[in-house]
Amino acid sequence: MSLGLDNLKHIVVLMMENRSFDHMLGALKGEDARINGLTGNESNLDTENEPARVQPNAEWQSQLDPDPNHHFPAVQKQLFYPAMGPPAAPNMQGFVQSYFDMQRDVNHSRKIMYYFTPEKLPVLTTLARSFAVFNGWFASIPGPTICNRAFAHYGTSFGSVTMDPFEIKKPIASIYDRMLNAGRTTKLYYFDQASSTMEVVNLLSNQPKVFGTYDQFLSDCKLGSLPDYSFIEPNYTDHEGDGGGELLASDQHPDHDVQEGEVFIAAVYNAIRQNPDVWKSTALLVVYDEHGGIYDHVAPPSCTPDGFTEGSNNDPFIAPVADTGTGYTFAFDRLGIRVPAVLISPWIRKSTVVPGSEDPANGRIFDHASIPRTVTDHFIDPAFAQRSWREKSAGTFLDLLSDTMRPDSDCPVFQVS
Amino acid sequence: MGTPSNVIRVPRAPKTSYNPQRPLVKNTLLLNQVRHFREVEKTLPPEMRSGIDFESIKTEGDAAEYVRRITAVLHPQGAKVKKAT
Repeated sequence: MSLGLDNLKHIVVLMMENRSFDHMLGALKGEDARINGLTGNESNLDTENEPARVQPNAEWQSQLDPDPNHHFPAVQKQLFYPAMGPPAAPNMQGFVQSYFDMQRDVNHSRKIMYYFTPEKLPVLTTLARSFAVFNGWFASIPGPTICNRAFAHYGTSFGSVTMDPFEIKKPIASIYDRMLNAGRTTKLYYFDQASSTMEVVNLLSNQPKVFGTYDQFLSDCKLGSLPDYSFIEPNYTDHEGDGGGELLASDQHPDHDVQEGEVFIAAVYNAIRQNPDVWKSTALLVVYDEHGGIYDHVAPPSCTPDGFTEGSNNDPFIAPVADTGTGYTFAFDRLGIRVPAVLISPWIRKSTVVPGSEDPANGRIFDHASIPRTVTDHFIDPAFAQRSWREKSAGTFLDLLSDTMRPDSDCPVFQVS
Repeated sequence: MGTPSNVIRVPRAPKTSYNPQRPLVKNTLLLNQVRHFREVEKTLPPEMRSGIDFESIKTEGDAAEYVRRITAVLHPQGAKVKKAT
């Protein structure tokens, strides 16, 4: 066990919205060849059979309007076009075609290939350069938000590939229940009451005690009263603040301003960083729930199908044809599209790049089931049995903490202006 | 805290980005969040319901107000603490 792990008292997860790895971090390959980003030659064919290349033209706002389709059938097209799905291998050639379907405008559809230059994202790119960036962190499902966020909370979506509320199937419990049952502390912090949570049906309506607000998170960092495990939700809407004033959405969901999300990530990081006791005892994971229909060049790998075992009964989770909308069922045996993920701690070696599928010998694959897997292993019991098959096979990430704590001067500080 | 060499300046988004009038149909995430809150609201006693006509929720600002009212019922601890004057 490393000294960093010995010192670890808090795990904090900040989950942002709907941006792919290449869109946000792909340009970093130009300065660090270990990062599996973009060469600049990646392309899709548009509907006029012309190549639409990736271009460093992404803007903070007003470019991805309407919101690119990222429901299950659309993502199948993005993955497999011109095939309709398996048994073909995913080739990542259907993003422009899929975005064209929304507005039938060829020029507009090509914008789905745009990516940010690092100077436009000073927070995320600085964190990726300074701490540990994952080449192989994928959304859990090739589909939308709710079912993907479910994997972060439960290690499964219980068979859902949609935005509909899902039914929890015992004996699997949320990571929050597991923590409380084990005598640990945990909080799910939403931004404010007008933004609230995406987990209203199962968690907020039944277990309000696990919730806190972003203001409470800031206070908990300052007072050193952060729980063992925290999950933070950004602001999902432009709305008036309780005390007046205009609050911008910070989730980075298209077409919200990406800059405000950068400010929010910086504020979460700074809150942890500014209390020395919290800073040295916390690992912060910044991760995106899914790709939002935006281009990424890495084909998602196949994975263990989902389900759970109780006693001698195996209960596989299979999404029915009525839910997939593709004409075939889905056994949760393929991950979703790659998303940005950065693990932050002063115990992480500077400029760590965690290899992914581009490195067959050493590559490691993660998805959102890695979150409850890691938290449960660390705070409860690595042998904890009541988990989905996907969670049991998910990668853990705390081995990235080293024996050496980096000095403050070696870790960034963000100043919002 | 760090030395100036490791201080990264982060620009704020312009105020012109603020648009609570953005149509809800443009954001499927918010559409579904509102739908989920509606399902939960149906389980509340009548006196605790928002009184907001679901069909009248057309913009991001409308959605935020609706979500705020239901969250205030489900999680009153989340109310902003007013500073004493």
